[in-house]
Amino acid sequence: MAPATKVGRVAVILVLAAAGAAISNLAASTSRKLAWVGSYPRALEVGPAAPESAVRADVTNAIPTAPAEAREAPAAAPSSASPSTGSPAAVEPDLARSFPPHPDKAAVEIGPADVELLYRRKMLFLDARRSAVYSDGHIAGARSFPVWESDIEARVKGLFEEGLDQRAPVVIYCSGGNCEDSNMLAEKLYMVGFDNVLIYKEGFPDWQKRGLPVSRGANP
Amino acid sequence: MRVQIALGAVFLAAAIPKIADPPAFAHMIYNYRLLPGVLVNALALVMPWVEFVVGLALVAGVWKREAALVAAALLVVFLGAIGWNLIRGHAIDCGCFDVRSAGKSPEQLLSDMKWVLLRDVGLLLLAAQILAATSPHFSARRMRA
Repeated sequence: MAPATKVGRVAVILVLAAAGAAISNLAASTSRKLAWVGSYPRALEVGPAAPESAVRADVTNAIPTAPAEAREAPAAAPSSASPSTGSPAAVEPDLARSFPPHPDKAAVEIGPADVELLYRRKMLFLDARRSAVYSDGHIAGARSFPVWESDIEARVKGLFEEGLDQRAPVVIYCSGGNCEDSNMLAEKLYMVGFDNVLIYKEGFPDWQKRGLPVSRGANP
Repeated sequence: MRVQIALGAVFLAAAIPKIADPPAFAHMIYNYRLLPGVLVNALALVMPWVEFVVGLALVAGVWKREAALVAAALLVVFLGAIGWNLIRGHAIDCGCFDVRSAGKSPEQLLSDMKWVLLRDVGLLLLAAQILAATSPHFSARRMRA
């Protein structure tokens, strides 16, 4: 067979594959779709921890915790996690002291005790895992921000447009271990101005192990 | 011929989970840390379809020489990608047939990667066998012998 035929057939195989990819990506649902041009600034960096995230020891014990009844009361001081008001609410001073904004880096890792404290204080929790995994079970009240799915930029933009206090703590988690989804989401939030993103490194498996509130389904 | 059907079936089996979930496969490619970020998604979208078309051609026995050639090229890329990460000690899920991370320890992953290398060498031999069997020069020599 002439070499030209061979090259032509290889080209046809590749073109068929590209066409298949294009059609299937057009037909894919939001959670299966992929933007053709990726946006992963750290794609060539080896190593589990993103360099601009830092680890911090639990500060929980240093915080004088408010009485339980005050925390649980529905009319407690406005929380920055409530998007209903539309205007940024001030972070309560003790939280602001213990979890100061860190505009110099995208994220800070915190331990489980701090995560629990921030959860009880009704801070915003974001789940960076795939939407299908989120539906199988997530931290009750956490919102789905699947960093690998095609609508993530729209979700981040939507969050930005809610006009939340960008200096208020935002807790992000994924599936623990070496999962980097939290770091990737943290960078996206950092790019739109969130200055106090905290990463729950142990993630959802730890949350489950500790028997803390879990919800199922597509909604928080 | 049985060899080409076996190799084709392996490629089909590898392609389908990736086609079903491109973001998961993009994540796998990203984890290799070998490709500039802008190319990760495009490769995640197209490569499974190359595997699929090649697998289909091999199973159907259509254009088997060209299909085996592309299969061999893919396998060489896989060997290089896994091999390089093994050399630099970067533990990853291979994402060959399963695009979901199994949550294994780095030690387990590194040991798995060695088996993947071995498997890919085996598959490369199958591809080489198809290329040899379909080579016009090869059969001419055999006929002369």
